[in-house]
Amino acid sequence: MKTADLIFALSSSASPARGAPVRRRLAAAAALGAVVAFVVLAGWLGVRPLTIAADTPSFWMKVGYTLCISLAGLELVGRLSRPDGRPHAGLIIIILIVAVMAVLAGVELARTPRVDVAEVWLGQSWSQCPFRILALGVPVYLAIVWVMRRLAPTRLGMAGAAAGTLAGAVGATVYGLYCQETTAAFVATWYTLGIAASAALGGLIGSRLLRW
Amino acid sequence: MIRGLQGDKDAYRELLGVLTPYLRGHFRRRLGPGDADAEDLVQETLLAIHLKRETYDRHQPFTPWAYGIARYKLLDHFRRTGARQTIPLDDAGDLFAVENPDEGAVRRDIAQLLGSLPPRQRALMRDVKLTGLSMQEAAQRGGVSVTAAKVSIHRSMRRLARKVGDEDR
Repeated sequence: MKTADLIFALSSSASPARGAPVRRRLAAAAALGAVVAFVVLAGWLGVRPLTIAADTPSFWMKVGYTLCISLAGLELVGRLSRPDGRPHAGLIIIILIVAVMAVLAGVELARTPRVDVAEVWLGQSWSQCPFRILALGVPVYLAIVWVMRRLAPTRLGMAGAAAGTLAGAVGATVYGLYCQETTAAFVATWYTLGIAASAALGGLIGSRLLRW
Repeated sequence: MIRGLQGDKDAYRELLGVLTPYLRGHFRRRLGPGDADAEDLVQETLLAIHLKRETYDRHQPFTPWAYGIARYKLLDHFRRTGARQTIPLDDAGDLFAVENPDEGAVRRDIAQLLGSLPPRQRALMRDVKLTGLSMQEAAQRGGVSVTAAKVSIHRSMRRLARKVGDEDR
């Protein structure tokens, strides 16, 4: 086919495009993934009665932390789903959020008597927490990647890592509904580790999955 | 582009028309002037711009967006041909140019010759000799063992050689 013919054919089929609801589509995918993750959690581990959980400040600390990362991750994914997207702003926000959480954790640990440090830091479930977050992130990741493939990411590794971050953060938010740990040090370490693992895996898989 | 997105066909056509020589230059600089793939990449990029036009943010400049797609198409091309990283980009032009002295005519001849083979052998030949898959990949795609694929390729080569020889005589 001659290039001129192609241009003619393309421009003849140029119907008005439907806006650019990139972010809305990604948010919908993340929400869908979160619902699936919640169903999985309910069937797998059960959910703490929300009325009790929502009374404790630690619950809001967890939800706040992971929701903030989710929102920043959504922004990052939205940028990297475009051919000209630059990740810097989203990345800086995520680093800031993690830094704030790390400071909170540091203050908390500094105030803890030495004998209790391990208890505060490791809690009851440190060895399971990152893996559960990773697992709950899977449906979110799949939904996000499914939408992203229809968009136009051009830095596939980075875009995959962004999707992994978002998936991990949403997975962690859902897991927070079950998790009974209450300390900032626990959340700052093990939640962050789960999200980071999700980002790393997402980047590795994403560079293959996201090709278009 | 914004008018094109709103359905203004003439504006859209003009935009693609103006963009084409830039894209052609962009790809030729990176692949070498004699490379037929450059024109394929131009077309692929135009098509991608069309298909992905919803990801263009109207508040951002158009050119980086379009070049983002062009860059992706080029990387994708290197990934498929396996030329990525093994050849510095500056030298790649010479190599490609030598491999494809005259794109149109040679392509047609090859297509004709391959047409004389039975379909199964033809598919294997195309995968191994033209697409550049390894023997193992091609055998997998054809659903045969590696040994069978080697035998088939060998037979095809002899057959084609005989055919070319006949015509020359």
